[in-house]
Amino acid sequence: MAQAIAQKKPVRNWLLAYVYLAPALLFILVIFVYPVIDLLWRSLTRTTAGATHWSGLAAYRDALTDPVFWQALSNNLRLFLAVPILVALSLIVAAIIFDRVKGWRLYRTIVFIPYVLAIPVVGIVFSYVLQLHGVFNVLLGSAGLGQLAADWLGKSRTAIWALMFVVIWKELGFGVVLFLARMSSISEDLFDAAKLDGANWFQQLWYVTIPQLATVIEFYAIIELITMLSWVFAYVLVMTKGGPGTSTWVMEYFIYQKAFPYNQMQIASAAAILILAFASVLMFLQARLRRQVEELNG
Amino acid sequence: MKSLRNVFGVMALLVMVLGACSPQPSAAPTAAPQATVPSGGAAQPTTPASSGEPTKLTIWYWGEQEAPGMKSFMEKAVQTYMQENPNITIDAVLQESDSLYPAFRAAAAAKEGPDIQYLWGGTQALPDAWNGNLAPISDYWTQDELNHIPAGQRAETYWDGKQWGVPFYQIGTFWAYNKKMFAQAGLDPENPPTKWDDWMAACDKLRAAGITPIGTGFKDGWLGGWMVSYLGQQDFNSIDDLMAAVKGEKSLTDPMYAEWWSRWKEMMDHKCFNDDIMSLDLYQGQDLFEQQKVAMTNHVEPYIAILERKLGADTVGVMRTPAYGTGKLATSVGIPVQVLAVTSFSQHKKEAADFLKFLHREDIMKMMYDMAGAITPDDRFKAEWLNVNSDKMIMQWRSQYPLFWYQYYYPPVWETEGSIALGQLLVNGEITPQEAAQRWQAVADKNRQDNPTELEAYKKWIFPPEMFGQ
Repeated sequence: MAQAIAQKKPVRNWLLAYVYLAPALLFILVIFVYPVIDLLWRSLTRTTAGATHWSGLAAYRDALTDPVFWQALSNNLRLFLAVPILVALSLIVAAIIFDRVKGWRLYRTIVFIPYVLAIPVVGIVFSYVLQLHGVFNVLLGSAGLGQLAADWLGKSRTAIWALMFVVIWKELGFGVVLFLARMSSISEDLFDAAKLDGANWFQQLWYVTIPQLATVIEFYAIIELITMLSWVFAYVLVMTKGGPGTSTWVMEYFIYQKAFPYNQMQIASAAAILILAFASVLMFLQARLRRQVEELNG
Repeated sequence: MKSLRNVFGVMALLVMVLGACSPQPSAAPTAAPQATVPSGGAAQPTTPASSGEPTKLTIWYWGEQEAPGMKSFMEKAVQTYMQENPNITIDAVLQESDSLYPAFRAAAAAKEGPDIQYLWGGTQALPDAWNGNLAPISDYWTQDELNHIPAGQRAETYWDGKQWGVPFYQIGTFWAYNKKMFAQAGLDPENPPTKWDDWMAACDKLRAAGITPIGTGFKDGWLGGWMVSYLGQQDFNSIDDLMAAVKGEKSLTDPMYAEWWSRWKEMMDHKCFNDDIMSLDLYQGQDLFEQQKVAMTNHVEPYIAILERKLGADTVGVMRTPAYGTGKLATSVGIPVQVLAVTSFSQHKKEAADFLKFLHREDIMKMMYDMAGAITPDDRFKAEWLNVNSDKMIMQWRSQYPLFWYQYYYPPVWETEGSIALGQLLVNGEITPQEAAQRWQAVADKNRQDNPTELEAYKKWIFPPEMFGQ
C-alpha cells in the first residue's frame, strides 16, 4: 500500500507542476510558438482566391533565387559593421563621461536624447539634413570641404552607409547609458590600483574597464546585432524606401514588399523563416563562443 | 522516463493550443458565388434591399494628398447620406499612403475590416479581386448604371467578365507648366511642345535662360510609375502589346518596350530635371513648381487645377507628354481612375454598393468637384461645372485621344523593381538604358516564375472591344 502511494506521488507532483506551469506555457505557445508555426504553414502553402493549396518548398526556392533577397541580406550584413563601431564609440564616450568631465550630466543627457526619439522623426530629419542641398553638405562647404558633398541618400554607393550613420547616431545613447551604469558599479579600488601601477587613461580603459564590462558589452552587441537584422525597417521606409534601386533593401523590407505590395505572402513567410533560421544560427554561435571563452577563463 | 513525460506534457499543451488556433487548411471564399450580370441586364441583388434595419458601413479611403478637400467632401457626403438613410451609419476613415494597402490586406487576411475600400486602379486593385478580397460590383450595379462610366476608365478594374471597382475620381496625369517662364525662355507660352524634339529643345532653352526645366522628386520612387506611363506606351498599338509582354510572349528588350528608357536618359542628358531629383520625394519636387522655381512639373488633375487657381491662369498651363513614338498610343493620355470597391467580407454588400451609387449622383459629383476639385468619371458629370482651364482641357483630351495609363496594367513588381528601382539607377547614371531593359526583362521573368497565380489572372484579363476601341 505504502509502495503504491510512493509510486503515485511523483505522478501527482508531475501533473501539479504542469498545472502551475500551464498559464505561462500557454502564453509562450500562443505568443511565440504559434506565430512561428503559422509562418511556417504560410511559407509552405499558397492562397489563391481564398483557397489554400500546398506548395511545398517552392516559396523557399523563389526567395533564394531572388537576387534582391541576397542584396537585402548583404545589406543587413553590412549594417553589422555598425555593431563594433557602436561598441567602441559607446565605450569611449561612456569612459569620458565617467571621468566626470565638466558638464558630464548635460553630455550624458544629450547623448541619450536620440535614443528616445521616434525613428520616423529621426528619419525625416536626416532625410532633409542629408539632401544634396541639405545642411550637412552646406556645412561641408562652409568648412572648405565642398568637394566631399554628395547626394548621400540618393546614390547607391553611399545610401546604405548614410543609413548606417543615422542608426549609429540613434543607437549610441543606449550603449553609453548601459556602459555608464555598469561602470558606476566597478570598484574604485581597481582603478586606484591601476593608477598606482602607472596605468594611463587608455590602459585603465583597456585593462580595467573593458574586462569589467564584458558581459554588458556582450549584451549590447547582441541587442545591436538583432537591431541591424530586424529593427531597421522604419529607417529604410522613411529615408529611402529601399532605393536608389534596391541598394538599401534589407530583409524586413524584402518581407514587407513581398507580403503587401506584391501580395506574395508565401515568399514573405519563407524569407521570414529563413531570417529566423539565420538569427538562430547567430545566437547558437554566440552561445558557443561564450562557453568557449568561459572555459578558457576557467 | 521523466524526460519522456516532459515531452509528452509539452506536446499535449501544444496540441490543445494549436487545435484552437491553427489556420484551416483550405478556407472557402467568404463571398458567396454571385450571379453574373449579363451585358445590359439587371443586377441580381444577393442581399435584400435595405430593410430599414440599423446598418453600419465602414469606408477606408484616401485622396486628400492628391485632391485636397477630399476629406471634407467625404465627411459631408457621408453626413448627407446618413440624413437621407437614417438607418445607416457610416464611418469614413482617411488612410495614409503607406498604410493604405498593408492595412487593407491585413484586414482582408482577418476577414474583418472595411465594407468599402479605396484602391488605386488597375493592377493596384485587381490583385485583391484575384485573392478574393473584393466582391464584384457588377453584381450590385446594373450594366446601364456601369455604362455611365467611360469604358476606357472602367477597363482598369474590369476582369474576368466582371467589374470589381467603381471609379471614384479621375486623376488626369499631365505636366503643369509656367507660362511666364516659358515666355522668358523664348518659348510660346500658349503652345507648349507636343513633339519630343521640341520638348528637348525647350529644356535646353530654359536651361540657357537660367531656369530649371522640370522640378520633381524620385527619392520615394513614385515617379517611376509616372515616367513609364508618360513614355512607355508610345510605341504600342494597343493594350495587347503590353499584355503580350506580361504573359512572356514578347521581351521587354524589344525596341517597342525598351525605347522609353533611352528617352528618359535623353531627358537626363538635356538636364531637364532638377539636380536634386534623387534627394527629394515626389511631392517635395512638385512643390518647386508652386514656389515658381521650376518651369514644369508632373502632377495630377485636381492639383493642377489648384495651382491654376492659386497662381493664375496666366501663369499655369497644362500640357500632354510630347510624343516620340510611332505606335497608335503615342498620343494617348493618362486619365486613370482611383476606385472604391466593396469587400468580399462585408456583411452589407448591397448597402455598400448603394452608397457608391450615391457618390455618382449628380449633386454629389458636383459637390466633390466643388470641394476637392476631383472629377467623377461619369457621363452625367456636366462639363459646365468645370471652372478652370486645365480641367476643361483635360476633359477635351479625354474624348479626343486614346486613354491609357501603363502603370495600372503592369504587375506591381514591374514597378518596384523596374520603373522605380531601375529608373533610379538610370537617373543616377549607374546603368544604361540597355541594361535597364535587360534587367527589367529579368524581373518580369522572375515574377512569372514566382507568381503563376498572377499570370493566370492576366490571361483572364480580356477587354470587351468597346473598352479600347479594338
